[in-house]
Amino acid sequence: MSEGVQPAPAPAVKPLSCPACGASIELRAAGYTVTLVCPYCSSVLDTANPDVGIIQRYSKAARELEIPLGTRGTLKGVDWEAIGYLRRSEGGTYPWEEYLLFNPYHGYRWLVTDGRGWTFGTMLTESPKYGGSDGLIVDGQPYKSFFRNGRAQVDYVLGEFYWRVRQGEEVETADYVRPGFMLSFEGNEEERNWTLGELLDGKEMAEAFGVDEPRKWRPGGPPPLPHQPSPYAGSASTLGKLALLGIVALFVLTLIFGGSRNEREFEFSVTPGGGEVSRTYGPVSFDRPWQAVTIKAQASGLENAWVDLDYALVDRKSQTTYAAYAIAERYSGRDSDGAWTEGSRGATTKLATVPAGEYDLVVDASGQNWGFGGSSGPVPVTISIAQGATFWSNFILAVILLLVPAIIVLFRHARFETARTAESDQGSALANMMQGDEDE
Amino acid sequence: MSRGGFLYGLWCLGIIGVFLAASVYGYSPFANGGRAAPRVGGGYYGPTHK
Repeated sequence: MSEGVQPAPAPAVKPLSCPACGASIELRAAGYTVTLVCPYCSSVLDTANPDVGIIQRYSKAARELEIPLGTRGTLKGVDWEAIGYLRRSEGGTYPWEEYLLFNPYHGYRWLVTDGRGWTFGTMLTESPKYGGSDGLIVDGQPYKSFFRNGRAQVDYVLGEFYWRVRQGEEVETADYVRPGFMLSFEGNEEERNWTLGELLDGKEMAEAFGVDEPRKWRPGGPPPLPHQPSPYAGSASTLGKLALLGIVALFVLTLIFGGSRNEREFEFSVTPGGGEVSRTYGPVSFDRPWQAVTIKAQASGLENAWVDLDYALVDRKSQTTYAAYAIAERYSGRDSDGAWTEGSRGATTKLATVPAGEYDLVVDASGQNWGFGGSSGPVPVTISIAQGATFWSNFILAVILLLVPAIIVLFRHARFETARTAESDQGSALANMMQGDEDE
Repeated sequence: MSRGGFLYGLWCLGIIGVFLAASVYGYSPFANGGRAAPRVGGGYYGPTHK
């Protein structure tokens, strides 16, 4: 489907004399070229008949081109010669350049640029299929609408062409894109043309035609090309997969090293407002070289009161102390909003990096009532101590650190896509027209 | 794999490695041991939601 315009026999280069200025010029695609623009005086010549006539007379010097006509370069494994040049715009704005390439065995192609990149265009011999919701399909690939209802005019022309080209010529345009490719429509009352453009790698283009590589897109600079693939899209996918693997690994490690064992319990009572109670429980043995320790307190009968708990885990051998603090508190009442409760009768405390050894757990507890509705009498407090702990906070911190680069790449990808689509006027007018054609 | 993907893979391995070391040593920057848990209200006792 994406075959180019195929000429039959190979043409020969034919020398001509410009009837306007008398300069000696070459016809590179003799037999196919219909219009030739003199590179010396810019007059438009009719080469369709043996007596070369003047279509439009000019006497202005031809502008210097980034790819001088006659330059040969290899693209997609084929040698191409630049034979024609068009400078076009939308009513004088958004200018771009098109070079007509020719190879006697492969026909014509286009090189299109507006300074942001080069696109290699091949004219299609069939219209694309309607792909639904603003889309078209070519060779099974979907293209989304990007520009519609455009109008392109020819501002400047040089070289030779296979149709009657002239300055000021206008056509309606529309563009559809997928990453790396652009499907362009040009049409008027007489004909409709579809061209499939492939975005070329800057290096490939530099090697083929010696042009400068286009600058990479920078935030705040000119927007990317409509069909420019996001440089972050591939990275975002890879990073997403790696991040997922990493999160799974962290989760598994948390389960393997988390949890607690060898839980021991002891109980005592604290009377709110009744002074401090000190209890020592031990020995508690920890057998791993290093471990976390979980201490849980549960003051079941606590009501409108709190219990301060000072823990000291004392190594019997070295008298090294690991201290921690916890509070069990429970409040309740009723106000204009109804009944309310606050606090928890239980408190979990985790000690980190405790070495192996035999320990005593010293608990200093004191209780206080809040207001006048507090617990009356002793409140039983159950203390449990266990080897090991699950630090979900470690897991969350590690996941956040893991995701930071991925989020940055995702943000950059979104920023690129926002810049890329900012100029789009996505719509379905032409797609609707195509659908109408197919329905007929 | 791209250079960015490779570097990110290294970053992931580094994070997992540090996490593994912390797990082996029972370490957490969020552990309560060795310091008193901060109280909402800077030492005020009683309910704080009202």
